[in-house]
Formats: sequence, C-alpha cells, structure tokens
Amino acid sequence: MKKIGLTPYLLLLPSLIYLLLFFAYPMVQSLQLALRREGQYLHLRAEAKEEAAPTGTVAMQTDVTVLDRVRGEELLPNGRTRPVYWFLVEGPDTSGVPVQGWVSQRDVFIESRTESTTARVVNGEATQEWTLDYVRRMVTDFRFGNALATSVLLIVLILPLQFILAIVMALVLQSQIRGSTVFLYIYAIPLGISDLASGILWYSIFTQRGFLNSFLVSTGLLDQPFIFIQAGNQGWMIAAIVLAEVWRATSIVMVIVVSGLQAVSRDVIEAGEVFGANLWQRLRYIILPMLKPSLQVALILRTILAFQVFAVVVAITGGNVITVLANETYRWYDPARFNNPNVAAVYAGFIMLLSLGISFFYLRAVRSQEEATRAT
Amino acid sequence: MTETTYPDRIKPITPSAERLDAQRRRAKLAHAVRRASIYILAVAIAIWILLPIWLIASMAFSTPADVRAFPKQILPSPFSTQTLEFFLNTQGIINSTINSLVVAVLALVISTLLAVPAGYAIARYLFPGRDAIRLGILSVRAFPVVVLAVPLAVVFIRLGMFDKVHSLAMMHAALTLPTTILVVASVFASVPYELEEAALIFGCTRAQAFWRIVLPLALPGIAAAAILTFVLSWNEVFAAILLTISNRTLPAQILYTLDKSGDPFKFAGGFFMLVPSLIFIFFIRRYLFNMWGQINK
Repeated sequence: MKKIGLTPYLLLLPSLIYLLLFFAYPMVQSLQLALRREGQYLHLRAEAKEEAAPTGTVAMQTDVTVLDRVRGEELLPNGRTRPVYWFLVEGPDTSGVPVQGWVSQRDVFIESRTESTTARVVNGEATQEWTLDYVRRMVTDFRFGNALATSVLLIVLILPLQFILAIVMALVLQSQIRGSTVFLYIYAIPLGISDLASGILWYSIFTQRGFLNSFLVSTGLLDQPFIFIQAGNQGWMIAAIVLAEVWRATSIVMVIVVSGLQAVSRDVIEAGEVFGANLWQRLRYIILPMLKPSLQVALILRTILAFQVFAVVVAITGGNVITVLANETYRWYDPARFNNPNVAAVYAGFIMLLSLGISFFYLRAVRSQEEATRAT
Repeated sequence: MTETTYPDRIKPITPSAERLDAQRRRAKLAHAVRRASIYILAVAIAIWILLPIWLIASMAFSTPADVRAFPKQILPSPFSTQTLEFFLNTQGIINSTINSLVVAVLALVISTLLAVPAGYAIARYLFPGRDAIRLGILSVRAFPVVVLAVPLAVVFIRLGMFDKVHSLAMMHAALTLPTTILVVASVFASVPYELEEAALIFGCTRAQAFWRIVLPLALPGIAAAAILTFVLSWNEVFAAILLTISNRTLPAQILYTLDKSGDPFKFAGGFFMLVPSLIFIFFIRRYLFNMWGQINK
C-alpha cells in the first residue's frame, strides 16, 4: 500500500463522475417525471395592471363571472395603439374558494368584451407542481394488480427452487468428483445467456409444436399436442416462465454459493463427519449457517433482478395475458402504445421501492434471527 | 484359573475376520453407491443445462420446414443452414447485429478505460473514504436497469442523444462499470506489490512500473472483465428497446418483432443471440469467482 496522496482520488474521479451522471441524475429526473406536473395557472391581480399584486390563483378552463371591466390602450410596435380590456372576475381558485381579481383579455375567452358576464380562463403561467395523478393512474390501471401479483408470484416460486438447485450444484462441485471443473463451466454457461434468449429457448419447448409436445405425442402419452401457452392456461405459462428463469439465473446463485463454500474450511465439515453428523445434519448445522452471508447477498441480488424479468415473459407468453411490472413499465413508455413516460417512471420508482424494501427486510430478518439465537 | 466372565454389557468385541471383511465390503459398497449417485446427479444437472441449448441449436441448423414439423426429432434433422440464413436475411437483422456489436465494443472501451484507474486506486491505495467508495460501487452494481432507463430516455430526448448507438453504449457502460471496477480491483490486488516495488528500486517511475509490470500481469483479468461488459451489453434488452427506435440492437429488434415472427425466425434468433455467451464462459472461466464470488466483501 502506498502513502495517501491525491492520486487515488484522481484515479477514481472519472468513474465516480460517470456513475453519478448515470445513476444519481436519472434518479432525480425519475422523481421529477413521476411526481411533478407541468401546470398552467392564472394569477388574478388586485388592479388592472400586469405588475399589480396577485389576489388568487385560478386553474385553466375555470368559468368565472365578470363583475366589472375597464378599457385600456396598448402600444403596438408600429406606433399605433389598440384597445385592451381588463376584467374584474370572480371564480373558484385552485382549492375551490371563491376569489376576486383583475385579468387581462388575453388570459380569458369571452364572447363579447363589452357585454358578456361570463368568461373562461384560457391562459396562464406554466408552473411545476407536485402531483399524485400519475401514481393514481398506475394504481387504478387494471393491469397493475395483475402485474404486481405475477411479479411477486414468480419470485415466490423461482427463488426457493433456485436456491435449492444452486446449493445442490455447489455441493456436487465441492464433493471432489473427477471433472468438477468441467461441470463448473457447464453449470456456469447460463451466466452469459440473456433472458430473451432463455425465453425463446423455453418457448421452443413449450410451444404447441414444440419439443415437449413432440416428446409427449411420439411416446404416446398424448394423442395430440396440448396447447400449453394460451390464455386459459395461465398455470402452464407461469410454469414455463419459472423453468426458464430457474434454468437461466441459477448459475449466478451457484457461483456465489460455491465461493461461499470455499470459505467454509474443509476441516470444520470434516470434523462434523468425524463426529458422525450425516449429510443433512452437516448441511443444516454446519454448511448453511456458514453460508448465510453469501446466501443473503444472493437473495438480495436475485430479488432485485427478478423484478426486472421482462423479456422472458414477453418471449414465452407475448406479454399480454401474463404481465409483470417491468413489462408494464415498457408498455407505458412505448411510443407505439401508451406513450406516457410519467406513468412509466412511477412504475420504475415502484420497482425501485419494492427492491429496496425487500432488501431491507432480508437484512433485518437475518439480523434479528441472529440476535434471537444469541439471546438463547 | 477361572475364565473371566463379563457382564453382557461389556463383553469385549472380538469380531471374526469374515465379519470384519464383510463390514469393510459393505462400507466400500456404500461409498461406491454414494460416489455413483453424486456422479449421476452431476451429469443430470449438466443435461438440464445443456439440453435446451442442444434443442435450439438443432433447430437453428435445420430447414424452416423441419422447424415447423411435428413431432420434432430430438436428434437433429439433416444439417442445414437455411433457417439461420433466413433469419440473417430478415430485414433489419444484419443492421441490428452491427449496432449490437458497435454498442458492445463502445461500452467495453468506455467501461474499461474508466475502470482500470479506479480499480487500481482501490487495490493499491489506502485512503480515507476507500471503504465508503467501495461500498457505494458495490451497492449500485445491482441497480435495476428498469429504473434508470425511463428517465435516461427522457433526458436523452431532451439532449438530442436519443436513438443514438453511442448513447446506448454509454448507458451500458454505466451499468457494467461498478462490476468492472470491482473485478479489475481484485485482479490488481492479486498482482504482488513486491514486483512493483522491485521495479521502482530498479529505477522505474511509478507510471513505468504500472505500464511495464502491473498492467501486463493484470491484462488477462482486465480482458475477462471487458468480455463481461461485452456480453452484458450484447444481452441487455430493456434499456436498448427504450433508448432506440431506428437504431435497434439485436435483442431489441428481435423482441420488437417477436409477435409478428414465425418459429424459424425465433429459434434461429434465440440461438444466434446465445453464441457469444457460449464463447464467453470459456474466456472468463478463471475469473468466475472474481466476478461474482467477492460479492459479500
């Protein structure tokens, strides 16, 4: 290790700026998209002048009653003048309370400047304001509940299978069989496979003329192909997605568990063996407790990644009957469909909050469990 | 002299030779059965991983007629490149493949250039804030791309950077940068500092020592990290489909046309996207645990 200078900071600076630019800035932007709205409001004035003090704020399209009017003159660039009317109006402000004030003719629509007694506000200042409209739109969308339920269901189904399979894989690799490096590489192959490719792979198995039906029909188990992927067969569609995800994303858990196992000293496991612990006891009382930090990290990572599952769902089911949160984010954003980046940003923020919340919950759950065992 | 009599409980065990032998044989057999079952399990898992890849490959290398045939054969139908050719000749595929390659190479260059100095700093210097920076980098490596893509698309539109190949490459570089920094740092940390010291003693400047001694030793690891960036970018579809319209990358193009395409296109596309990942694992195999193993430190 070298002595401290400015050097390490200078070396790190470009990366930190880059990360800030691409992580922190979009987060602020996302908040803006999700919770802020461009609004237009008209300020009523105490006198018939632009610079007069405001008396209240009225929203666009508010109907107001005209109580009084004055005729003024406006100087045009060519030196001539033209009449400009100001109206004293009364109407509900943004919170519904009646207010009175002067408005210029260019801010209201009025049938007759000299005679009409009602007008409508049509102009105003653009302002940014906080709004829950987009959030409301997301929550009330009929697909939202569906997407949330499916996302959670997929996590509940996929994660336990993944962890069991990953631990089995890791134990197999650690049992000093010949060719274990070859097996490790084979097990690690899905690490580099995208969720889209994996979705297409499993689609080829589950589709009507796919491999599963080919197998079932040619072995005589079925007379004719069974259509797994169709609107009425949600269970099979979910099953196909679960298999595709377990197939693709177990590798990363496996790598984390294997490196965690390598840290568990063999002596400890062998000591367990010497004292007569069987495989289950060794697993339950020695290996799993020592793997806990690795498992915890893998759990957080996999949960966060699971909320982003998107292409698998689209590849296998088309993304209409079965939908997940990430898919909804895309549908709302897609210019060819809803074209509403604001609601998409709300979805994105919701995914973010869920990921954070669940990570926090895992950390808390594990810690309180540790405290409980220490107390006893 | 009377023979010593033992109560039943503590009768000395004097097993006969045959019984000992039988016991040993039984233990051996049990051991053999256990080994065999581990091998069977290992092979079964390998088949579970490899079978789907085999199936899609057998489809990609057949004729479109064979792809549509039912029931399909598990063994490949006569070898043919027709399905793959059909896929590659579909409008937009060659273009999007080129886009994908450009994006992936650009992302690789950006993230490597940024990560090498940063990784070196983390590996070689002890400075105030080092742990905080490390932790910060660790925590953004799992940052959901879904969350970033929407606001970035809006920002890119505003800045006139939307639908540009290099904008997407910058985004992909950002996504992989945290991982790359950590991998590069662990690679540098595994280069013995003594070598660098020796170079300094023999009159190298610090920069020369880095350039001539440390970098060549760390190069394979850095290359592995770069390949990781390449594959992540090649695979990434969510940001790609949000940030591009006319310059789609391959996965974005395939996903976008998925519901309008037939099975030959899908299967060939699936296989085509898979190929780099199969090569990838071969190149990074030594660094597997550098990449994902050190996650909890």
